[in-house]
Amino acid sequence: MSRVTAPRALALAALAGAWATASWFLWQSRVPGSLHLPRLDEQDYFSAAQLRASASFSRIELLFWVLGIVVQVVVLALYAWRGHRFMGESAAGPLGTGMLLGMLGFAILWLAQLPISVLDLWWQRRHDLVTLGYADYLFQGWFALGGEFAFLCLALAIVMGFAQLLGDHWWLPAAPIFIGLALLFAFVYPYLTPTHRLEDPQLRAAAQRFEKIEHVEHTPVVVQNMRDITSMPNAEAMGLGPSRRVVLWDTLVDGPFSNRQLEVVVAHELGHLSRDHIWKSLGWYALFAFPGAYLIARAARRRGGLARPEAVPLSLLVLVVLSLLASPVENVITRHMEAEADWMSLRTTQDPVAAKQLFRRFVPTTLSEPDPNTFEYLVRETHPTIMQRIAMADAYATSAAQSP
Amino acid sequence: MQEHREHPVRLVVEDNLRRNRLTVFLRLILAIPHLIWIILWTIAVIFAAIANWIATLVTGTPPAGIHRFMCRYIRYSVHLGAYIHLVANSYPGFVGEEGEYPVDVRLPGPEPQARWKTFFRLFLALPALLLSSALGGAGGPTYGGGSSRSGSRYSVGGSGFLTAAVAVLGWFASLVLGRMPKGLRDAGAYGIGYNAQGLAYLLLVTERYPNADPTELLEDVERPPQHVVHLIGDPEDLRRSRLTVFFRVLLAIPHLIWLVLWTVAAVVVGIISWFATLITGTPPASLHAFLSRFVRYSLHVNAFLYLAANPFPGFVGEPGSYPLDLALPGPERQNRWITAFRIVLAVPAWIVNVGLAFALVVAAIYTWFVALVRGVAPWGLRNLMAYALRYGAQLNAYLYLITDAYPHASPLEGAGEAQRPVDEEQ
Repeated sequence: MSRVTAPRALALAALAGAWATASWFLWQSRVPGSLHLPRLDEQDYFSAAQLRASASFSRIELLFWVLGIVVQVVVLALYAWRGHRFMGESAAGPLGTGMLLGMLGFAILWLAQLPISVLDLWWQRRHDLVTLGYADYLFQGWFALGGEFAFLCLALAIVMGFAQLLGDHWWLPAAPIFIGLALLFAFVYPYLTPTHRLEDPQLRAAAQRFEKIEHVEHTPVVVQNMRDITSMPNAEAMGLGPSRRVVLWDTLVDGPFSNRQLEVVVAHELGHLSRDHIWKSLGWYALFAFPGAYLIARAARRRGGLARPEAVPLSLLVLVVLSLLASPVENVITRHMEAEADWMSLRTTQDPVAAKQLFRRFVPTTLSEPDPNTFEYLVRETHPTIMQRIAMADAYATSAAQSP
Repeated sequence: MQEHREHPVRLVVEDNLRRNRLTVFLRLILAIPHLIWIILWTIAVIFAAIANWIATLVTGTPPAGIHRFMCRYIRYSVHLGAYIHLVANSYPGFVGEEGEYPVDVRLPGPEPQARWKTFFRLFLALPALLLSSALGGAGGPTYGGGSSRSGSRYSVGGSGFLTAAVAVLGWFASLVLGRMPKGLRDAGAYGIGYNAQGLAYLLLVTERYPNADPTELLEDVERPPQHVVHLIGDPEDLRRSRLTVFFRVLLAIPHLIWLVLWTVAAVVVGIISWFATLITGTPPASLHAFLSRFVRYSLHVNAFLYLAANPFPGFVGEPGSYPLDLALPGPERQNRWITAFRIVLAVPAWIVNVGLAFALVVAAIYTWFVALVRGVAPWGLRNLMAYALRYGAQLNAYLYLITDAYPHASPLEGAGEAQRPVDEEQ
């Protein structure tokens, strides 16, 4: 190793060490390391008809997903190759032209993926999982694209602005700014989500009880109207500090779930807040943002660096490919957090029976496969599989029975 | 590109701008007999139009008698529209005499017409009638801008947004001055002329689609002197990228956000500049430069958004950077009275601008469809949009103290002679 590269190698090693240490801290979980999840047979829990229905639905869903990814990569690869030709449509400077190229890339991608997403909508409507009409879907997609454009332009303004000042080192100041933006968005998002009060007094009382147990007092538990869009049940924890809350979809609250099952959901979401999962997600985002931005900067050098608009199409491709490559790792992280929230819920409610009933009911209401194949598990599952969740409830029941 | 053919329906304006204050004051009351008469005439025209439609479908040419009847009706509606909207002064006759009125229309004789165009005429005419409702005219059936329980409707003796604005403002101006301001008169004539072309198309007097190009429609009208704030750039830039046209509104989002932020700053700077101009008589150079950039940027963004130009604009209002650009004066001495009452004085221009804004939106929607299919913007609509944008920019320049020259409402302001040969219409 030469003298010039040795300090760099040391610095890299130090950074890698810091990265590994940070990820070790973020990985810490309340789920006992010794917890053994038994391997369960899905046929013991679900009827053959249920399994057939979920398998048939998921097979086509996976097909659409794969098609969508292929179209995404092919379209962006073509755009990275030929997209610079659209520079002629701009009378703006490098920054404005870069914005135009970024927006056009997303626009072309949206158009290319539209047939697949419409087919997917048809498939989900056919199974009564989505109630949204085609026209509404297109309009919402159109407006959502507008939101994406606004964010993309902000991101490109930051990146290209720093690239003009610092050349290929733009990623050093840009990455912290993106982390700051993610932080801001996580804080603001709950205020942008229209919700209403949870009416059920019994569930409200249970939520207050759980908040005390999980040390997240005064967390609002509210309901979001989703019935006009979907019939699938869901809930989420969101926000930071004063904006944090638990949001239950009305499809869950008014769905085929008992109050005991709903209590499991509330305790699960409070578990996310109690274990600072949103902060941890931001931490993980920060850990990936620096190397990700660095790799994009490296790739953009082939087109003269991100100060030049012609580098934008290639950067979009790199960004998407990196996101795709990172998605299995991201899924591991989110599954880890979800498992911890499940564990917190079991400890708080001490009701593994209700938890098992809840997880079992997810199969007919969401047509999720209880035990998907390995590929699907790795690339798509952001939560533990239903069989894993049932197994955890069993394991909790066993450990609770054994404890004095 | 086809050889340009002059539109067979042409407006003739021989009005001398002089107005009699008494008849101006009583204008609507004096027009009552005409309004009653045109309602009766319109009822007859509806039946005649149906007969004309069937006959033209069968023979391929409108019968001469019905054609003459329709021509008289259109001519009469032009006379009446001009009278009501103060585009002309003298009281019109009741039978649509040719060449007898200072604002008249030349109409073609009966000619063979394509049967499929005749068959679908009502549907084909709808876009032109909608634009006509934005621009104006009266006396004939106008696609109503107002709404009823059943939505928009045809009305008789209606008025477009632009001509209505012209009439209201012209009424006050004529009462005070004894003459109609030329800008308002030209704007009103333009609306009436376009309405006449729309009627002629609907009633099978011609199969030529209405042409929204104000320069051609008012070809024989004297051009006003050039305003200090005027459009420059490449008027022949008609090519439109289909992809950017399809996503135009979304692509404009970053500019719209930036424009809102810039507007906040411009309002603050404008207030400071107002005080400074009031005290010193001249806007400070730095503030003037900042506001000039803002006004120019605003024009670039609107030209992009409304498809009056093709490329994605820059974010700083750089002079000469855009095909539809703005010439602005430097900081010059301004009349303190005009400065002191600037906002109040701008109200009439703002009213005209609202009228033009509606036409701009309608024209942009049509351009969106045409450009998506053909990859070019229609020449007539492009010029209508340029007119509306130019007027908006002049109003902005006036409001932000870049100049104390009042916006000029004439669609001919800054225009040369009727421009290049084109086949695109509307």
